[in-house]
Amino acid sequence: MSPGIAAQCDQPAIRSAVQQYLDEGRLHPPIPLTLEIEVGEVPPVPPASALPFHQPQLAFYPGDQPGGLTIVWEVAPAQARLENGAGKARVILSPAAVDRLPECQIGFLMTTVIFLLRRSGWHHVHGATAVDRRGRGWLMAGNSQVGKSTTTALLASRGWPVGTDDIAFLVPSAGRVAVHAFRSRIALRPGGLELLAVSGGAFQPKRGKTVFWPEELGGTWVERIEPEVLLFPLIGADRTTVTPMAPRDTLAQLVRWSAWVILEPELAQEHLDLLAALGRQAVAYRLELGRDLFSNPQLIDELIP
Amino acid sequence: MSTPTRYRPHPDLRLTALEGEGVVLHLGTRRYFTVSETGLAILEALKTPRSLEEIVASLQERYDVTAEHARSSAEAFLDRCLSAQLVTREEGAD
Repeated sequence: MSPGIAAQCDQPAIRSAVQQYLDEGRLHPPIPLTLEIEVGEVPPVPPASALPFHQPQLAFYPGDQPGGLTIVWEVAPAQARLENGAGKARVILSPAAVDRLPECQIGFLMTTVIFLLRRSGWHHVHGATAVDRRGRGWLMAGNSQVGKSTTTALLASRGWPVGTDDIAFLVPSAGRVAVHAFRSRIALRPGGLELLAVSGGAFQPKRGKTVFWPEELGGTWVERIEPEVLLFPLIGADRTTVTPMAPRDTLAQLVRWSAWVILEPELAQEHLDLLAALGRQAVAYRLELGRDLFSNPQLIDELIP
Repeated sequence: MSTPTRYRPHPDLRLTALEGEGVVLHLGTRRYFTVSETGLAILEALKTPRSLEEIVASLQERYDVTAEHARSSAEAFLDRCLSAQLVTREEGAD
């Protein structure tokens, strides 16, 4: 078994909660990675040579040293510092952030892990993974409102192996690109639940979502796929359609859904080259999701030629 | 002896290609652009700083086009790259 990701903290309850979250994700990068967590006052970010990059709830600053990165959670004071080439991140959580630890894990610590993994050659893409009836790996890339989770849940309910509904990592694999899944529960909004007509799961009030392990929906979990099919879903109307995509559009979409490729100049080219390699090994389609897919779910089995 | 104006990629540019077409990232402006086959050929030629005439010659080696057509395409592409800061220009001297 490859090394995992370790949480260190002198407060056992925090260490245990974060380690459980990381262990559930079942990520085994090729080098050991560590989150060194302390609770205390979060220092100000040093003056930066470049403007921060903002995303909802997060800001990214160049680190103190070349190739370093500082990640700031903007929900409650919390900060992570990563150095170039180092397999550990120094994380400072304010007591207010600790009070919101489940939210902090998903919104902030996971992002820190994503950038740690980048230092082991694993590069993030917003995507869902599955294996179809013909044994082909599927990667569905897109943001959080394009139907990835609902489609992943549908595939699981059809008995397909699925990996993740959102957090995927591109990994070089003998001249090809494999995708590792962060194992977490598939998170459905009320609209998705209604479309799928599923019950059960665990409701998470703060996220407004109901979450399911793939097995609870009838599927299995698959850790790693080698994509042969790339899908870029969007919510459509009545009828589900798939449209082949040109190489340039495929590459642009992959870059778009790997937004953090533009951070950390030392690692950007490696990430970009993996995206291009992925585009070469897989066929790409734009997938417009219609209501017919959910009223007649066996359509999914013949969706991709 | 005069030296011509030369073009080179901006240090923040990163480029990747798929089936003859490409995507370029500018890590400073944090923008990305798709580029056509011709644009990709020009950017790849700029791995060594090149004058417009050298770029035109490299396009003519690759495609069956007149010098006039190649120059027009290269000038238009370089203008767009300069405004997006994807390429820098080193002014020549007389």
